Amino acid sequence: MSKIISTCRDIVKNFNSGEAEVKALQGITLDVYENELLMLVGPSGCGKTTFVSVLSGLLSFDSGVCKLMGEDISTMSDERLTAFRGKNIGFVFQAFNLLPSLSAIENVALPLTVEKRKRVETLTLSKEMLEAVGLDGKENVKPSGLSGGEQQRVAIARALVHNPKFIICDEPTSSLDHKSGQIVMELLTEIIKEKGASMIVVTHDNRIYKYADRIVHMEDGRIVKVAS
Amino acid sequence: MFRIAIEMLLYDKTKYIGLLIGVAFTAFLVTFAMGYFAGFMTRGFALVSENPSAKVWVMDPSVSSAEATINMSDSALDIVRGVKGVNYAAPMYLGNMTARYANGDFQTFQAIGVDDATLSGAPKPANLLRIPESAIVDSGGTEGKLQTPIYKKDMWSYDGSHLNAPTRKLRYGDTMLINSKRVVVAGVSHTIPRFPPRPLLYTTASNFKRLVPGEKRYITFIMVRPTKNITPNKLAKRIAKQTGLKAITSDEFKKETVLWYMINSEDVGDMVNMVILAMLVGFGVTGVMLYMFTYENIKQYAVLKAMGASTKQLSDMIFTQVFISAIIGSGIGVGIAAILAHMVSSATFPFRMMWFAPLIGFLGVIIVSMTAAFISLRPIKKMEPGIVFKL
Repeated sequence: MSKIISTCRDIVKNFNSGEAEVKALQGITLDVYENELLMLVGPSGCGKTTFVSVLSGLLSFDSGVCKLMGEDISTMSDERLTAFRGKNIGFVFQAFNLLPSLSAIENVALPLTVEKRKRVETLTLSKEMLEAVGLDGKENVKPSGLSGGEQQRVAIARALVHNPKFIICDEPTSSLDHKSGQIVMELLTEIIKEKGASMIVVTHDNRIYKYADRIVHMEDGRIVKVAS
Repeated sequence: MFRIAIEMLLYDKTKYIGLLIGVAFTAFLVTFAMGYFAGFMTRGFALVSENPSAKVWVMDPSVSSAEATINMSDSALDIVRGVKGVNYAAPMYLGNMTARYANGDFQTFQAIGVDDATLSGAPKPANLLRIPESAIVDSGGTEGKLQTPIYKKDMWSYDGSHLNAPTRKLRYGDTMLINSKRVVVAGVSHTIPRFPPRPLLYTTASNFKRLVPGEKRYITFIMVRPTKNITPNKLAKRIAKQTGLKAITSDEFKKETVLWYMINSEDVGDMVNMVILAMLVGFGVTGVMLYMFTYENIKQYAVLKAMGASTKQLSDMIFTQVFISAIIGSGIGVGIAAILAHMVSSATFPFRMMWFAPLIGFLGVIIVSMTAAFISLRPIKKMEPGIVFKL
């Protein structure tokens, strides 16, 4: 049995209050294991993105316990949580969220820049990472000069450049055509296995289910099925 | 992170230029308004400025400006001349005189009577005042007030006033009547324009007395130059102590005059209110633009926060962006104000770029920008970095 890297117990998250209250998460309990690629699937509005936001410490929750690498994120100060997240979690977003003013290599370097690593080291690691995702020679191109698939690869490089133990991908293939989506998933699984990290992928795209170790189905803020 | 902040700032050229224009506009507005205000005030103490050799001014103790005055007795001059350290002391008479022009029209002048012997206080060429019954006239910042008929038939006519007769500017040899006494225009001077603008009439003290006879007290100011061994400040204190009169240096007199205008002049009050309003509008525009700039980039900050950027790092980025915009924008604004100042100054506008005008413009913008940056931090601190998942 692999080691548990993340454990959540009875997570409850409501938005608003009173009559307009939305019960986004209604007692989610889930463990994520080391080296696992877990897919979170379900209809729109079922709470997938809310759950990964909570899990990564980007969103506070109302009750329950959530631990990442043994640390209870609900008890951390904002500053500590931010630093912890920066060091241990990588993100790949549906809309890529690259900074348009920065070149590809500068975007990839962001997590290292935030960590205040030395510039030479930052550039070397970022260049290596760009090469690993097949974007050698595109270092100085800005996001507006890259295709959607290339932008997502830059985002993947950015998510992995600082060797995080946990990767969260929110709809990584939904903005891409089928071929680019397959390339991105193959790239992600390959690098994840190589680096020994865990990954949660939120998706609607059933064509990429084949890459998952486990598939967690959610509906109305609850986990309704876990399939291997 | 600073480099990232700068690249974010410069990325959207349209936004960046808009931001710079907003900041530059505010800096320009503040600097220009201050220069305009300083220009008016400079005209307010023109009487002091055009007599640079008078280092100390003596006046009635109740007088606190060059604008509102009351006279001293003639004996004050001798008393002041008797104080040790006084190199020379010359009287100055001030009063209003209404002159009748040759076509029957009239005009009120501020009359300035100067010492007959030295002609201290008279504009160049002062020697013309030695012509009997003469005066030098000056527009004092007014337009079209020094007029006399072109044709002799319209001058001093027996058939009454010729008010609609064509006129020209007064010149050497023209005559006027003051208190039914003849005054010959010996020249037209171009001294510092006054605030409020008014025509000026320079004449000798003796002619002043001839035109306005019967006054008990004539001397409004005594202009004093100290001997080499005493500073104006010390001499002023000594004169005040020994004579009971008010004696202040010319710099102090200018300051007191400005203060007097600020307190007593409704025109200046209105002007200050307009300047303050203009500044507030400019500050408002700058503040809102800087805030909007940060707010529009909030998702980028959320991405950085998701990647571990601390609130302090994000704050530093915002302050860097705001500071750079403020420095460049206010530099442009102050520069434009300086160029325009040069142009309007040579066009005889009441404008004077004093050292504090660009400084206040610059500091004002920096303070407003930093305040806007502080306000911009609020949404950054309050943001849920979870917004990174939203499209």
